Amino acid sequence: MNHRNTIYLCCLGFVCFFNLLSQIASGQNQPKISFADQVLPVFEKHCYACHGPETQESEYRLDIKSAAMGIGDRGDQPIQVGDRKHSPLFLLVSGGDDGERMPPVEAEESLNKKEIEIIGQWIDEGAIWPDELANEAAIGLGRRKIVTDHWSFQPVVDHAPPKILWQSPIDFPIQGAVDKFISKRLQENSLHPSLPADRTTLIRRVYLNMLGLQPSPEQVRQFVTDESEFAYANLIDRVLESPHYGERWARHWLDVVRFGESTGYEVNRDRANAYYYRDYVIDSFNNDKSYQDFVIEQIAGDSVGADVGTGFLVGGAYDIVKSPDKNLTLMQREDELADYVNTTSTTFLGLTVGCARCHNHKFDPILQSDYYSLQAVFGGVRHGERKLKEHLDPSAGESMDTLESERESYQQQLAVLRKKLPPRGALAVDLPEINAKKNVDDFQPIDAKYIRFEIFRTNGAEPCIDELEVYSHQDQKNIALASSGCKVRSSGDYQNNPKHQLKHLNDGKHGNDFSWISNQQGAGWVEIEFPKRIAIDRVVWGRERNGAYADRLATGYTIEVSIDGKDYQRVSGSARRPSRQADSMDLDLEAIGRLSAPDASKARDLLARLKQTETQLAKLVQSMPTAYVGNFSQPPVIKRLYRGDPLSPREEVYPDALAVLGTLGMTSEEPEQSRRLKLAQWIASEDNPLTARVIVNRVWHYHFGRGLVATPSDLGKNGSAPSHPDLLDWLAIRFMENGWSLKWLHREILSSSTFQQSSQPRPEALAKDADCKLLWRFPLKRLEAEAIRDCVLQLSGKLNLQAGGPGFLLFKIDRENVHHYFPLEKFGPEHFRRMIYMTKIRQEQDEVFGVFDCPDGGQTIPNRNQSTTALQSLNMLNSKFIIEQAAFFSERLQREAGSQAKDQVNLAFDLAFARAPAAAERQDAEALIQQFGLASFCRAILNSNELLFVR
Amino acid sequence: MSLRLRPSHLLNRRSFLSDTMTGLSGIALTQLLASERLLANADDQKTPIRPKFSPEQPALARQPHFPAAAKNVIMIFCAGACSQIDTFDYKPELIRMHGQSMPGEKVVTFQGAQGSLQQSPWEFKPRGESGKMVSTLVDHIGDMADDICFLHSLTGKTNTHGPGENFMSTGFTLDGFPSIGAWATYGLGSENNELPAFVAIPDPRGTPQSSVNNWGPGFLPAVFQGTDFNAANPIRNLARPDGISNREDAATRAFLRRMNERHLAQFPGDTELAARIASYELAAKMQLSVPEISDLSTEPEHILSLYGANDSTNELKSSFAKNCILARRLVEKGVRFVQLFNGAYQTGGEGTSNWDGHKFLEKQYAVHGQILDQPVAGLLKDLKQRGLLEDTLVIWCTEFGRMPTFQVGASGRDHNPSGFTAWLAGAGVKKGFSFGATDDISYKAVEDVVSVYDFHATILHLLGLDHERLSFYHDGIERRLTDVHGNVIKQILTRG
Repeated sequence: MNHRNTIYLCCLGFVCFFNLLSQIASGQNQPKISFADQVLPVFEKHCYACHGPETQESEYRLDIKSAAMGIGDRGDQPIQVGDRKHSPLFLLVSGGDDGERMPPVEAEESLNKKEIEIIGQWIDEGAIWPDELANEAAIGLGRRKIVTDHWSFQPVVDHAPPKILWQSPIDFPIQGAVDKFISKRLQENSLHPSLPADRTTLIRRVYLNMLGLQPSPEQVRQFVTDESEFAYANLIDRVLESPHYGERWARHWLDVVRFGESTGYEVNRDRANAYYYRDYVIDSFNNDKSYQDFVIEQIAGDSVGADVGTGFLVGGAYDIVKSPDKNLTLMQREDELADYVNTTSTTFLGLTVGCARCHNHKFDPILQSDYYSLQAVFGGVRHGERKLKEHLDPSAGESMDTLESERESYQQQLAVLRKKLPPRGALAVDLPEINAKKNVDDFQPIDAKYIRFEIFRTNGAEPCIDELEVYSHQDQKNIALASSGCKVRSSGDYQNNPKHQLKHLNDGKHGNDFSWISNQQGAGWVEIEFPKRIAIDRVVWGRERNGAYADRLATGYTIEVSIDGKDYQRVSGSARRPSRQADSMDLDLEAIGRLSAPDASKARDLLARLKQTETQLAKLVQSMPTAYVGNFSQPPVIKRLYRGDPLSPREEVYPDALAVLGTLGMTSEEPEQSRRLKLAQWIASEDNPLTARVIVNRVWHYHFGRGLVATPSDLGKNGSAPSHPDLLDWLAIRFMENGWSLKWLHREILSSSTFQQSSQPRPEALAKDADCKLLWRFPLKRLEAEAIRDCVLQLSGKLNLQAGGPGFLLFKIDRENVHHYFPLEKFGPEHFRRMIYMTKIRQEQDEVFGVFDCPDGGQTIPNRNQSTTALQSLNMLNSKFIIEQAAFFSERLQREAGSQAKDQVNLAFDLAFARAPAAAERQDAEALIQQFGLASFCRAILNSNELLFVR
Repeated sequence: MSLRLRPSHLLNRRSFLSDTMTGLSGIALTQLLASERLLANADDQKTPIRPKFSPEQPALARQPHFPAAAKNVIMIFCAGACSQIDTFDYKPELIRMHGQSMPGEKVVTFQGAQGSLQQSPWEFKPRGESGKMVSTLVDHIGDMADDICFLHSLTGKTNTHGPGENFMSTGFTLDGFPSIGAWATYGLGSENNELPAFVAIPDPRGTPQSSVNNWGPGFLPAVFQGTDFNAANPIRNLARPDGISNREDAATRAFLRRMNERHLAQFPGDTELAARIASYELAAKMQLSVPEISDLSTEPEHILSLYGANDSTNELKSSFAKNCILARRLVEKGVRFVQLFNGAYQTGGEGTSNWDGHKFLEKQYAVHGQILDQPVAGLLKDLKQRGLLEDTLVIWCTEFGRMPTFQVGASGRDHNPSGFTAWLAGAGVKKGFSFGATDDISYKAVEDVVSVYDFHATILHLLGLDHERLSFYHDGIERRLTDVHGNVIKQILTRG
């Protein structure tokens, strides 16, 4: 036991001791039952699982004195001091209360007789609960304060690099802090680093690591013969400036964020415009975007002018098979939200917050409420497409600016007019505030044949009404139903959604699935024509009678009736309702009527211009590209779900960060976008101990095949301990100081002798550290699927370096309800682009390279397996693709090296291995070529270990 | 009075640490939790077991956690959700209530509102000594009832196909988790090092709805994924390419081998290099062994007839029958896990290519029953007569069940994960036995209710694997096939 626990034990003992003393001191009526020794253990054993710190079934908790003794959800006091027979708590545990028993029979073991008697006697004796054990600190926080001493939650510490001296003959020049920290651990383990790799090996390593491509023979020669002391530094500059750097490293990132370009699940439809996000990641890396901005844009890009970034949130699989089954729908939504929460927390924080969906995290200081706090941050995110503002062409961007300033000017002028408004007259404010569920507008009985409901303002988007009911004065029946012969018209309807149709307005059915939506932003009207003139006195309407949605709500409206369809008389409207928007800039239809004639005409003119400007703006928006980057709307109240079950909601949870690291102080009033922005800023903050460590470690992982923390997406208790904690922190701090620049980080790593050392295995070092955890050599790595394919195409001379834009597809798609994918049999130049540009269809892997542990975007993959299988070998030997590339490769050799086998072999070795063949190798190769032709030799080269491994 | 504290204070009451003792806020929650975990481990021996394997021979046979009843598994998967009501779950009360509305609240299921209760269009007949009532839709399988252990109270978590197939094949409704066959081969390796350890045999009509996710490796090393081929379609890229002669192929590979060995000689101790060389040797062996095993021409006429593989009147049936023969040949050779699919992805409308009978159940099931019935019964009989049923576990399952009602305005049944049937036969399970039950109308499992997790736990148990211990660390979690759930269904085992 460590000393902290010892202290804790002693203190608790101390408390009990004082408790005992106070009881002794009080003298008379010495209670026989001890709360600490007898009652508390029974509570712990039987009650706290459901009424304790983690969960509070029936909103009742028995671990806090005031809560336990207070009013229960049945409205009674669970513990009647001194009277067990009238204490519901006792009646429940003893099974005496109408046979109802706690704990529930199916869930837990009941209390035994002795335990029941302890509780009973304790209550009879006055239910003495010492204040020292009252546990009041746990109440009222909503969020519990928790602490941890796990390393990754502690602030990043700036450790001075140790002083290191390697005795000759070890040739390991200490280039900087990386080498010092690495050397120290090697020395501690009686290991030493390796000699520097030769320049050929080094340039190949740098190219493959940084660009995922081979250097050309010219590039190799230039570097090998470069005598400048800056030869290597220049090489690093070159690769960091290459546009292929972003392509290479975007692939790593897309693994982590489980990016795919189809829905997944059984229908698995392709997402034709998801690629914008892939290009965004590539560009971000190439432009060395500050990692802070990169984080913020992916969580809340819509608030910082980078709409495309939120492709991160919706990059995962999404079950589009929907059903009227409510339970299924709820669970699907929970799964979607879990995907946003999990991916965000593993990607940026290296924490498995998803584990807390059903219960407090088993290993890390993450509460179940933390999970739901994050869920509340993302509660308004939905899969789908959105316009990308930043992708407007420059001239369109300018006219957008002009239009926006015009709009502002009109709005200001209207605001001036609004100030002249006389107090509300004709219609008194006599109705309650507008409600999304149901509103009643009653009025003096009036004869009508037509009734028009006109909307001029909403709380966002096109207005939606699920049912418009009109009641007859005489028999108080809804007479607006289509089934009673009413006709319905509108200003225009939302298109192509069976749920939202004009006929739903008066079909007698409630709910979003049977509603009408206008085709205009914030406006529209509907009109019902009765079969005959009739006296009416009430209109009942709502956006969603079941309360499932509160968006698209009409907040400004008028209700008018007419007998002839020409002259209308206003009978009600939003003017009768208290307005939250009293200072609003808009001057609506309602208000104009109350202005003086000249002002009214001016206002009408301004409104018309405003409308025109907005139409033009809308057109521009139309011209922006649409991408699969998600949609956002104000989320409903988020509640903690007992055991993650959507049918067992518990207390409300506010959007927030992880409690162990602080609070963002938001409530459920917080606007949707700002929830995400605040969380993103919190993640990207220098004060967050996890963020910089996580990304620094990921980059290290991709360079050396293993992170300083071997579990790159889990820096929690269940993850690996860092092999070099001081180095991790040193890099994290310098990384932040250097503007969160990933290129800075690459340069720091590449410049080290640690990176430049040879990969040659040494038996004595292998025996001590076979996994090369301490980096006594540069670890051997097999290329990933994408790099193998790219390198094969490079060798064959067919690699098409066209960057960005829509990807190429390796399948023919049969687009039934369920999409079917058939691998292509023929390939052309469009298929010879780098594999990062291959449209990433979930489940359907590239038929040759998919089996090289290539993730399909189903789940996040922070570190790829490197397995070796017979199927890989069969694909590399026999697939049409490889046979074709071998033929192209041999054509290239003939073209570039001429007809002599000797020259062909030399060139092939130069291209594939950046070296000349040894005499024996050349003889062997020439013999094969002579007997079976050049293509056989090329087929073998494409299969060789030397090509497929990075040394 | 002693000041000693009971350990339960220390171990259970997190709130004491984090809240009450604010003065001691430095106490680490995780430390306490960790000590709790340590104790738990010591108590019940549930520490994770991550099998070790060499990169050169990842599928080498490994010892199970405890003596296994079954060596191999054939898992027959009816894609599209095969109705329990029309096959194995006999409900006289449903026949009596035919045409009446469903008792209780109005049920809204996957496709919407439900019409009246509908008995099966097929008659049920008592079978064998056990007298088990099985529908005439699956007459031949019914005749094997005395060898089968029926599980009538299975429950799922979802009522959509993709997640349902995922759940039955991987234990998770989401995409991207390792399949049960991958787990089994990860745990046990294979007895045959010339064939893939895990083979998935797709239906002649195509892959199932969740496609390769049914046999994918998820985050396990790719070496444990299922290799898919069937009697008609060989392994992709298995054959030597057209235009390359046998001699040229052999010479090229010999050259490659020499090249790789020279390379390896420079880097002694780099096992990954050796592993790749070994994988080419295995590939060469597979090029011989797989065509051989897929070549059914050596099967005698009476065997073909037993499965219905020579039924010239029904091509789909004979093709599926050949897949069943292939399954037998694979386990005969020691392949660890065979997943045999009946039914493909949705094409040509619901229920045409699989068991998704929403609208025209009688017509569609008449077709599917023909394809399934005799071949599967033939497989059971053949395994039995060869003594292979002694150490082979045959499983029949589907992603979920169907409703006792017809859908409004249709003549078919909607999805229902609340109670459905699977069966097991062979190694380690009781014969002529039925376990669990749905209610009187086969709407909901009510007796000895079991989950898909329990089903998986039992399968692993029969293979000698403890489902709570077989694990793989991924993304912060010690992952298991059964997540954090599952109990072995001991009642159906021949030995407790």
